[in-house]
Amino acid sequence: MSPYRVILALTALAAALITPLIAGPYWMSLITQIYIYGLLALSVDLLLGHAGLYSLCQASFFAVAAYTTAILQVRYGQPTIVAAPAGLVAGTLLAVLYGCAVRTRGVYFILITIALGYIIWGAFYRWASFTGGDNGITNVPPPSVSVVSITSQTAYYYFVLAVVILCAFGYRILTQSPFGLSLRGIKGSESRMQSLGYRTTMHLYVAFVISGAIASLAGVLYVYYNRFINPVAASFQISVEASLMAIVGGSGTIVGPFIGAGIFLGLRNWVSSFFEMHTAVMGIVFIATVLWAPSGIVGFIERWRTRDEKVKRQP
Amino acid sequence: MIAAVSIDSLAKVFGGLRAVDGVSLQVAPGERRALIGPNGAGKTTLFHCVTGTLQPSSGSVKLFDTDVTYLPEHQRTKLGIGRTFQITNVFTDLSPVESLALAIVGSDRRKWICGRPLGAFPDIRAQALARLDAVGLKDDPDKPVKLLSYGERRQLELALALSTNPKVLFLDEPCAGLSPSERQRIFNMIRALPREITVVMIEHDMDVALGLADRVTVMNRGRVMAEGTPAEVQSNFEVRNVYFGQA
Repeated sequence: MSPYRVILALTALAAALITPLIAGPYWMSLITQIYIYGLLALSVDLLLGHAGLYSLCQASFFAVAAYTTAILQVRYGQPTIVAAPAGLVAGTLLAVLYGCAVRTRGVYFILITIALGYIIWGAFYRWASFTGGDNGITNVPPPSVSVVSITSQTAYYYFVLAVVILCAFGYRILTQSPFGLSLRGIKGSESRMQSLGYRTTMHLYVAFVISGAIASLAGVLYVYYNRFINPVAASFQISVEASLMAIVGGSGTIVGPFIGAGIFLGLRNWVSSFFEMHTAVMGIVFIATVLWAPSGIVGFIERWRTRDEKVKRQP
Repeated sequence: MIAAVSIDSLAKVFGGLRAVDGVSLQVAPGERRALIGPNGAGKTTLFHCVTGTLQPSSGSVKLFDTDVTYLPEHQRTKLGIGRTFQITNVFTDLSPVESLALAIVGSDRRKWICGRPLGAFPDIRAQALARLDAVGLKDDPDKPVKLLSYGERRQLELALALSTNPKVLFLDEPCAGLSPSERQRIFNMIRALPREITVVMIEHDMDVALGLADRVTVMNRGRVMAEGTPAEVQSNFEVRNVYFGQA
């Protein structure tokens, strides 16, 4: 790692750690939300930025995990120690099932994941007796394990931050491992990978399940943050927003999805306070990214930095 | 003697087009076989059927007496088929070392390792560098492949095909689009391959094809038209007619 990156990472970590000391409840809530959505965007990017698959059903894993946790806590009075892991497992199991989508490629994969996503959304929306329908599940208690209970906003902020940092480290090792390299190989040339002896569909399937597990983790974090869940969490819109975050921030990187989540949620909160058609503004931001920074903000900064170095190197 | 590759009345039909129309051929172990024929003769389609990229419509393919006709491509690789592609097929976003690392772990269980970075396996890197050196690509092993020249990519393609330790190597126009000096380098590399490796290659350059091959198979319109030593094929009247363009 270059010294430049170490300094940047330490600065970001220090800023994240002191945020609760200087920020009010509004900003803390927004930043916690950015971490959680950033994690969801990271799950999208494992498939999009590394394996080259554009999945549009990530909200399903997110929502199934969140609903499972919420229902177990609220309806069945289960403690967090049961409800949270159960949510994680439920979301991941859905990914094990939905992983069959990797038998298809390209536009067919996109279409089938959209359809699979709508199944979950429809189930949560219509199965009102179990899921609460449009109203969803309310009054989810704060997470607590035996006597320790994370009730304050600050405590939950640090908890989410710790989980996200752990995930980022794990993700970094995963993407640099032989398996992670094989995903980039498949993105580069699947036919070449097959002729090198890879059963590429199996590799993509495993990547899909890992991605589903990350999305599920984001879902569990989300339900304890929001204390409430409704079918919007499973909607197509959330899947699209998560992929836009990854693309705007910088696909194929770790910080990119989090930066994308920050830009997306920050802009939305700010613009919607004075302009009703805020989604139109988001659309313009996305178009601008595709036109002038196709590799996202991170790619844009990298390009700008290396251009600077090239100029310096010249005599 | 068991043939290294034995193709029996293989056909591949695309709609109304019989791209490969009942081809049978045998290649002995250690042989260098050139496959020639005009454009559209079905050479690459035949290659695709043998290596597993395409499923043949009928017929069978055997590799050292193992029927591989319906095996998926990755299993054929395990059985000893290596190949290069007509259109250079390398990982443009990866470096040559990463590409070779993929090829090296592709044949063992290490390809499933998730919890350790590739940098923690110095032996894989050393092996990759050695294989790059063998094809004359030791400069810039960590530069992205997209910055390499076309000739260097062809060399990398050959290194990738060789790194799965194939028993039979299928080369689809290894010298296509290369300059005379690059062509000579690839020619020398193929000639230097050990005789344990059987080589089947498609080549349009007659100097390369006839200079390397023990035997030549001529295809036209999806069928085998002639087969023999380079001298026999060159003197064949019919072959001269369709391929060399003179009666």
